[in-house]
Amino acid sequence: MTFSDFINVNLRQFWELTGFANAELGNFVMLLIGLFFIWLAIKKNFEPMLLVPIGFGMLIGNVPFNTSAGLEVGIYEEGSVLNILYNGVSAGWYPPLIFLGIGAMTDFSALIANPKLMLIGAAAQFGIFGAYMVALAIGFAPDQAGAIAIIGGADGPTAIFLSSKLAPNLMGAIAVSAYSYMALVPVIQPPLMKLFTTKHERLIKMKPARAVSQNEKIIFPIVGMLLTCFVVPSGLPLLGMLFFGNLLRECGVTNRLAKTASNALTDIVTILLGMTVGASTQASHFLTWETIGIFALGFMAFIIASASGVIFVKIFNLILPQSKKINPLIGNAGVSAVPMSARISNNLGLQYDPSNYLLMHAMGPNVAGVIGSAVAAGVLLGFLA
Amino acid sequence: MKRKYLILLLAILGCATVVSAQNRKALRINEVMVDNESSIVDEYGNRSGWIELFNANYGPLEIASVFLTTDSLNPTMYPVPMGDELTKIGKRQHVLFHADGEPNKGTFHTNFVLVPGKDNWVGLYDADGRSLIDYVIVPASLLPDQSYARVDDGFGEWEVRNGSASKYITPSSANIIKDKNNKIELFARVDGHGFGMAAMAMCIVFSALLVLCLAFMLISKIGAAQTRKNKALAHGVETKAERREVEHDSGEEIAAICMALYEHLNAHDKEDTVLTINKVKRAYSPWSSKIYGLRQLPH
Repeated sequence: MTFSDFINVNLRQFWELTGFANAELGNFVMLLIGLFFIWLAIKKNFEPMLLVPIGFGMLIGNVPFNTSAGLEVGIYEEGSVLNILYNGVSAGWYPPLIFLGIGAMTDFSALIANPKLMLIGAAAQFGIFGAYMVALAIGFAPDQAGAIAIIGGADGPTAIFLSSKLAPNLMGAIAVSAYSYMALVPVIQPPLMKLFTTKHERLIKMKPARAVSQNEKIIFPIVGMLLTCFVVPSGLPLLGMLFFGNLLRECGVTNRLAKTASNALTDIVTILLGMTVGASTQASHFLTWETIGIFALGFMAFIIASASGVIFVKIFNLILPQSKKINPLIGNAGVSAVPMSARISNNLGLQYDPSNYLLMHAMGPNVAGVIGSAVAAGVLLGFLA
Repeated sequence: MKRKYLILLLAILGCATVVSAQNRKALRINEVMVDNESSIVDEYGNRSGWIELFNANYGPLEIASVFLTTDSLNPTMYPVPMGDELTKIGKRQHVLFHADGEPNKGTFHTNFVLVPGKDNWVGLYDADGRSLIDYVIVPASLLPDQSYARVDDGFGEWEVRNGSASKYITPSSANIIKDKNNKIELFARVDGHGFGMAAMAMCIVFSALLVLCLAFMLISKIGAAQTRKNKALAHGVETKAERREVEHDSGEEIAAICMALYEHLNAHDKEDTVLTINKVKRAYSPWSSKIYGLRQLPH
């Protein structure tokens, strides 16, 4: 072999390794979707903490390369760096860590002060099971239907956790769908809330919540964990971590741990989770008819969940005394998109009465929705795993 | 103080014992063959009776130092040797012991044999030599090349297996070969529309949150009563009737008190959303210095 042949052969081999030589149309479509997510996050401020890592992860995951060259760089190639980082998603241990952070960030006072708001969080989970029925009807298997339906819980970590157990092959599409709809909560929910409520109902003023003592705040995560996990032990990873994080926050003697859990740890895990979920959406896995079905079902689940929360409040009001009526505008907050959906309740309430602040009332069903969706995930896991 | 540490130590030891016991308790005798004429051969090419153990845990289990025996009066008859990494059984996996009476052949050769034509009591004891983990009485009626096995791995009834298509013998592998998820199949067949799942799941979700709701209604009542009591005491009220008259402070009153405290004492209660404006000192680092990022030095 002459020197020029040597150079020629090596350059040709190198060309075969490049993204240009291995690119397919699907890769470019996914790159465009990734760029669209980044644009949404930066320009429209839609869930930037999630959509930037997911969008950039999509770019990383869709750079084409020669998979038979043994480069060990792809997210699905065992031993690659991305594959190691992806283990937190595939083995399902990132979501409980996120829940630890959510617990450490969340103030459950509104819920403790008015425990009946928990039932709104339960009612909103009907979105999950409504979507489950539709998913079955269009041909998904029960375990896949369960994994898709959890999108209706509006809880990204829960959706990832459950889909990693029930339908790992659909996880990328489910996660992206869940986070996309969470980002679109301000667009999806207000028309529904207006549709299902009368002007008179939107003006209902709720009594200010009573002050909650520190003892009650400490008892809540302990009793909450024990009661919910005794009913649904399969929800232990999520519920256990959620309530543990909250105990760190409320006990008053672990401030450093609570701060780490709610700041540094959550940020680290969010970065890794978002990026690896994005990278897992490789064109060959993602651009399928199933993905379109998942997005459609996710949208429907979101609508059913939001509507069922509002309708449940209206029904609940029928049995409540006049002085204890609940404003149905907080019903949408039963989905667990915290605190976005509670903010929407508040904003819409202020549109109709500038003195009617619903934020603290809406935080009750909102955090109950987090618990409710984790319980629903535990139920699905218990039945279908 | 020493007593406190002692209690803590005992609690930790107690937990460790319970955890250990829980792990080992998941070890099961899963299948036994007494008279092996044409079944599996060992690594030396010999046939003997065998005992299959199953790790019912969803995590690996180390079985070194547990005891296998055929005599309940001699529970430490055959200790599973230590120092062999093969004694660590993977989750939901099996391990086979050849009951050939030749322990020098290796870890998985016991020092006892199973005797055809009589009932064989086979027991599995924990490392303490006293705690019985599992046992089975293999009936004398078992014919050559028949095994006595659990219907399903790790639990359930025992049955005689003769090697036929439905009663297959499975040394070192699962007693039932599963090629599908029975749960999923059942849901797909019986609850094809999902109404059953939706009804059951919503009932469970509602029950879980209702229980929590009721618990906290009770706790908040106790909490409110306690607050009323404390407040009444602060007001110098002592009788129950007078306590009821002391009303809750309104949100406005609480806000006014907080604002007054802040205004006059610059004091905070327990809120963690205090806005402070401090000058942030940034340490110089050449890594972030703009001067090294310039292509041309400014004139």
